[in-house]
Order: sequence, then structure tokens, then C-alpha cells
Amino acid sequence: MSQLEFAHVTKKYGDLEALSAFTLSIQKGELISILGPSGCGKTTALRVAAGFEKFDAGRLIMNGHNIEPVPPQKRNMGMVFQSYSLFPHLTVAENIGFGLSIRKMDKKKRASVVSEMLDLVRLVDVGHRYPHQLSGGQQQRVALARALAIEPTVLLLDEPLSALDAKVRVEVREEIRSLQKRTGTTTLFVTHDQDEALTISDRVCVMSNGVIQQVGTPQEVYDNPSTAFVATFIGETNAVVIGGHAVLVRPEHTRVVSDAEPNSFRGIVQSFSFAGPLKTVVVRISVDESLVRATMTNTVGSDWTIGQEIGVIFDHVLRLAD
Amino acid sequence: MNKRRTTWEWPVIIVVGAFFIVPMLAMTRFAMQRVPMSLLGRKTILSRWTIRGLMNTISDDKFQPAFLLSVRLGVVTVLVVLALLLPTVLWLHLRAVQWKMVAEVVSLLAYVVPPIALVVGVSGAYRDTVPWIVSSNYGLVPLYVILCLPFAYRTLDVGFAALDLHTLVNASRSLGASWQQTFRKVLIPNLWTAILTTSFLAFAVVMGEFAISSLLLKRTLPTYMVEAQGREPQGAMGVALLLLVLTTVLFMVLGRIQKKSPTSSSQEIRITP
Amino acid sequence: MSELDFPRLVSPDLRENVTGGPAGSRASSTSGHWSPSLVLPLVPYFLFVGLFLAMPTVVLFTKAFRPVTGSTTSAMVEAMSTSNRSSFIFSLKLSLYSAILGALIGFLFALAATRIERPRRLRNLVTGFSGVAANLGGIPLAFAFIASLGAQGLFTRILYHNGLDLYGNGFKIYDFWGIVVVYLYFQIPLMLLVMLPAIDGLRPTWREAAINIGASPFQYWRRVGLPILTPSLLGGTLLLFANAFSAYATAYALSSGGSRLVPVQIRFYLQGNTITGKGNLGYALAAWMVLILLFVMTGYLLLRRRAERWRTA
Repeated sequence: MSQLEFAHVTKKYGDLEALSAFTLSIQKGELISILGPSGCGKTTALRVAAGFEKFDAGRLIMNGHNIEPVPPQKRNMGMVFQSYSLFPHLTVAENIGFGLSIRKMDKKKRASVVSEMLDLVRLVDVGHRYPHQLSGGQQQRVALARALAIEPTVLLLDEPLSALDAKVRVEVREEIRSLQKRTGTTTLFVTHDQDEALTISDRVCVMSNGVIQQVGTPQEVYDNPSTAFVATFIGETNAVVIGGHAVLVRPEHTRVVSDAEPNSFRGIVQSFSFAGPLKTVVVRISVDESLVRATMTNTVGSDWTIGQEIGVIFDHVLRLAD
Repeated sequence: MNKRRTTWEWPVIIVVGAFFIVPMLAMTRFAMQRVPMSLLGRKTILSRWTIRGLMNTISDDKFQPAFLLSVRLGVVTVLVVLALLLPTVLWLHLRAVQWKMVAEVVSLLAYVVPPIALVVGVSGAYRDTVPWIVSSNYGLVPLYVILCLPFAYRTLDVGFAALDLHTLVNASRSLGASWQQTFRKVLIPNLWTAILTTSFLAFAVVMGEFAISSLLLKRTLPTYMVEAQGREPQGAMGVALLLLVLTTVLFMVLGRIQKKSPTSSSQEIRITP
Repeated sequence: MSELDFPRLVSPDLRENVTGGPAGSRASSTSGHWSPSLVLPLVPYFLFVGLFLAMPTVVLFTKAFRPVTGSTTSAMVEAMSTSNRSSFIFSLKLSLYSAILGALIGFLFALAATRIERPRRLRNLVTGFSGVAANLGGIPLAFAFIASLGAQGLFTRILYHNGLDLYGNGFKIYDFWGIVVVYLYFQIPLMLLVMLPAIDGLRPTWREAAINIGASPFQYWRRVGLPILTPSLLGGTLLLFANAFSAYATAYALSSGGSRLVPVQIRFYLQGNTITGKGNLGYALAAWMVLILLFVMTGYLLLRRRAERWRTA
């Protein structure tokens, strides 16, 4: 059932539409990512949900109620920011218990919830420390604990991993996913990183310039992109013009064969690289003189030489909705 | 919460602003209107405005030497402050990092010893051995430098901290530049805002410094102003007003420069210790 | 209270970027704290401060502990005797009141200034003028006040016309409250300069996090905003106190009223040295000032460190 629903929400800044008839229905217990480049409106959508931005048209419904007039402090949503989430003057335990003390939970109960949360994010024994004494990854885990402590209806994550080191990013995102599954919290996750979105989400909503491009499971969005934007933003794509039409093909569906092979496109090897389990060849294809990439597993074939004439076969072409 | 509704802000700004502007207006009126206070009323408010008082004072033969002395002291103080602190703060940031805390505490010590105590101490310590320091006008410079130390150190400290010092120096040196060249071509241009701020502030402090110069019986601009207040009150008031206005303009220019500087990131480089 | 990152000052073991300088060596972190090559370039600075600050202070204290001519007790003790104590009490009271008032008004003003978005030049004007008012020294400011609130002052006159006879009611600009008002002219700007960056340093995410998790705007201020600003507020107040306590020029320019303040008293004792024979008393008063200020500035420094640590969390 729908927990949070955006119905044709439009938000303008002057003439610019940050959100254009944004329609999305978020199911209870799911983790849905809003994915897109900077400025696409994903953060705006999140802030509209939180109540930090007003919108010009459309409706925002939570559990069947219109929450547009509800102020942010009463929406019972937990939010984690990209950085500087934690209150610097409070200890970790006080930070986590903050929402609880606002809700006037008594001290004992608070302490037990806080320690439960610390367990959940695997940061036991850190409760007495201050934020500046923790690493970035630890801080975000505490921020997560703080948001979850109030048992929010919806958890809002605003690019929570962007400020972290690459290795820490992977650890924390796994943790977010496992926490989310364990608690069953409905989660809205905003990011510009497709790896993050594809690996942990139940569904992905791809956005560009305020407009939703596609909503679907990670598999759907990858295998069957509905627009050229989605096809090129997610994963890699070769774009070739054949007979006046633009054709989109994934590198893993692009095969390099001998140039004597019938029904193949002629091309010349530009470069190739080896990256462990995969090999990549870049070919300048003669039909439109564009460059295409072909990737294959390491077991396939022998190596090539630069300048070698070969043939290219497209095993599977992406068919867009439009 | 897109548009902030401002309710109490403007009234506060206006009231406090008035507290600052009214005395300035009063100064202007005093300096430039030859109407005695008892006769001042609605009818007389616009009459007899003249800058004669101010001009008298500026052409007074004691004004110019006092003004020039203050300006010279200001310039020399700025140069000494920069010469002393730039290399020091550079070294502290580059290599002697563990000494930073000590240097910072030391810079604040000038705030612990008020000008009067400083003069008394310097005079007592050096009056017999190095009489120059109390007799020469330029003996004021070391004392002025000490006075400027708290904010000058802090401003330069902040300025250096805003740079990625090691990377800049390493990059410059690896490209073949000598230490001098690195300093001149790489560091100073990036520290320009901090240097300007320090200089403007130090200059302003010297132009307004009264305690030390008065106690050591030197004829600087502020001591002149106090002395002239008895003889030519309108002129003295006019000079004081001019000083206030010009320094404010100077600082506003500084503010604009700070904003435009690429290395100032989001902060105004502050001007308190 | 800069917004900048000072991890080195707070917890040296969290240093991230120590590359040790152009030679690439890590010498700065492992070699002796006192090794000559490290300390030598710092000598000019410390020598300068030693000669022109430390040495004079030592001399000051030496003379302060000597007895006043004609008695056997050390001047330091004598300075605090009942007859002399009054000037200290007057100075301390004046500094305290002007610091607290200046801090409150300065804070409010700073808060208002940060929230006003238009006109954009306003902030620059406010900061520029504050820089001047806080640093240009007391003479022009004292003049300004004499012109507005003196016996022949413009504002006095305006009030008179509107029915309020200030001087008839016993107000004098040279009285305690008159001097407090004059001192506010540089106290408020100084507080502004301290608080503007502190308020700017309040991250919007803290406010949003607090509100998101259930706090009302008032609760945010009470439990997050104000507590985070408190070190800066307290530190600023201490700075204002030190500033007022050391102030000489304004006191001097306000002549008769100023003579009850310690700095002017010191001058009296030292310039009239040969006549009164009480030179050492002057030294003692100055020495006491230094001790009081030492105490105040230590508090200031500690509070500033705390504010900075939170700013960078």
C-alpha cells in the first residue's frame, strides 16, 4: 500500500521548474532511490516530502492524509543529510536520544532505545563521544540511528554517502540496506551515484531536469530503459547511427569478431584494455565513424592489435519507450 | 521555509543603527554649523553651515606634522608587523606546527597587558638603557606592533590555514622555483586578502591610538585632536569626523575585496583577536 | 572564532595532511620539539615579544612589589587597600555592565543582520563600520558622544525640546551610566564582529535536523542554536570586558568622569611621580590590571577553542 504519494507536484523557482508534475507512489517498507545528475530535482523532491520546501501545484499524501499543511516537525519523518548532520555540542547518545526527548520519553526508556540503536548500527561503547571525535562513516551511522530512533513513518536520505571515502561508502550503504530491511522502514534515498541506487534499492526513479524519466526495479531500468537519458545515464551505452536511426547498444552486447564474418559492421581497433575479469575493446566503426566499446569476459578470444580491421556484431539493441 | 519572514529584525537594526548614526550626525552638526546650541531650533537648523572650522584646523601649523607623523607611524608599523609575522606564521604552518599553540597564546598576551601597563613597563625597563625608545617618535613602533599582534597574528593564521600550503609549496618547488620565488609568486598572491586586512586594521589602530602616544608625550593625530579640542573645538570635531568616515570607507572597500577574493571561500576574514 | 578547521590545535593525533614540507621529510612530527633548525626561524617573533612585552611586564611587577615610599607594605598590597580599591571597583563595575549590555545588544544586532537579505550592501556597511568603531580608538568616539549627549549635545537638546531635561535630572555624560553609554559605542561593534561569524557558522543542516526530528523553532534555539553559540557568547562578553577594562582614551577624553577609572589613576600616580612619591602605587595598579586581564583572557581563549571545535565537527 502506498505510504507516501507525490501527485503531480510542481515546484518553480521563478521560471525554472525544479519539479515538473512529479508523480511517485512509495510503497510501505520499500527502499526507493531517486537517481539523477546534480540539479535534476531529486533533492527538491526530498525536501518537499520533509516539509522544508513548499510546492506550487499538486498534492502530497501520506497514509491517505494530505500532509501539505503539516509543518516538518510534525511529519514524523527521519532525515539524514550529506554532512554536518549531528549536533556538535551533544554526545552521540544525546544526539540519538534527541528526537525521543522532544517527544518527552522518560529517561530510562530513552536510554534503552539509544543503546538499542547503537547496537543496530554497531557502534556500542561510543555513546559518550562527541561527533568531532568520530570518523565520517561513524558520524553517518549515528545520524542514521538518530533518525531511526523515533520510528519514522518515512526515512529520508539526502545523498548520505557522497561525503564519504570510497571504501567507507560501500560499507555504509550495505549497512543502510540491511538496517532498512530489518526495521522495515519505508525509505526514500536520493543519490547521483548509480552504483548505490542499483545495488540497494527495491525500485529506482530516474530524474532529469525536474522530470521523471523512468520508475522501475534496478533490473528493469537497466535492461529496458525507456528514454535515451536513462539508457545513457545508467550503465554504459554505445550510440550508433545506422540508416538514419540512432541505435543504443550496451557494451556487453557488443561483440568483436573477425572482419570476414558476415552481417558484421566493419571497424578498426582503436585501443583495448584489460581489467581483471573483463576485457574492453574500443572500435571506430565505419558505418558512422563513431567509437563503440565492447566488453567481454576474460575467457573470450585472443588479443588484438591497434589498427586491426575487425567486425562488430550487436547482439541486443535497447528499445526505448519512445 | 523559502522566504524568511522578517519581523523583529528591521526594528532592531534601525534602533541600534540610530544609536550609531545620531552621534555622527551630531558631530557633523557641531563641526560644521556656527549656531550656538541655545539658538538651535527648527528655524535655524539649516543656517550657517560652513567648513571653515575644519579648514582652520587643517591649515593649523600643528595639524600637518601630527597627521603626517601618524601616517608615517602607521606605514612603518604595518611593514614591521608584516615583516615579523609573515615568515613566522609561514614557518609555523609549514614545519613548526607543534609551536602554533604557543605562538597563538603569546599573540593574545598583548591583550592581557593594557597599553598603559605596557608604556609603564617599557619606560621603566628601557628608559635608562635605551633612551631612544621613549624619546624618539619611532620608538612608538615596537609598542604599536605589540598592540596589533593579537588580530594581526589571527588574520594571517586564518589566511594561511585557508591555503593548502604544503601542496602549493611542493608544487612550486618541484617546478623549480626558489624559496624566494615561491614566496613572491605563489604564496603572497594567495594571501593578499589576509595581508590587506592586517594592513588596513593595523593602520587604523595606529591612526587612532591615543594612550601610548599621549603618555610618551608624542604629537600624533589623536593627541593633537585632544589638544585642539580646547582651542578650536569645531575643527577638532571635524577632523575626528573625517577620520571616522574615511576609515569606514576604507574598511568597506576592504570588505568588497574580501568578498571577491578567490581564496576567502565563504568566510569574511574576521577582524577581532 | 574562525570557521576554519583547526584539528591540529585540538587533537594533534587527528592530523591528516602532514607532509612535512618541501623536503618531504616527516621531521616536524618526530624530531625534537626544540631542534635548532625548527626553532630558529621563530626566534625573531619570540624575541620581539620578549623584549617589548615580557620584559616590560617583568619590570612592572618588580616595581609593583616594592613598597610605596613612606611605608613598609608592598605597593601591590597597598593598591588594594580600602582607599585605593574604589577605583578598581568602579572600573570593574563599568567594564562588567558595558560588557553585558554590549554583548546582549551586539548579539541581537548580529542576529538581525544575518537574517536580513536585502539590501545586500548593508552587511558590508555594518561590518566595515564595526571594524572601525571597535578598533579606531576612543578619541573620535568620545568626541561623537560629547557632541550628542554632552551638556551642549544635539541629542540632549532634542530631548529637552521634547520635554526631557537630562541634565536637569542629574544626568551627566561623565557619570557612571553616561560612561557606560559611551563605551557601548565600541562594545556593540566588537560583539558584532565576534558573533557574525559564529552565527554564520550555525549549519543550516543542524536546524533542519532538529526540526525534522520534531523540534519547534523555539526548541531548536533553546536546545541546539543557543547552546552552540554559548561559547562564542561568553567568550565575546569576556573580550568586551577586557576591552572596557583596558580602555584609556575614552576615559581620558571624558575628563572628570574618567578620572575615577584605573588607567587614568595610574597615569596620575606616575606622572606626578616626584610630587606624590607614589610611583610604585601606579606600577602596582597596572600589575593588578594585568592579573585580572590574564584571568579574563584565559577564559576567552578556552571558550574560543571550544567554539571552534564544534564549528568543525
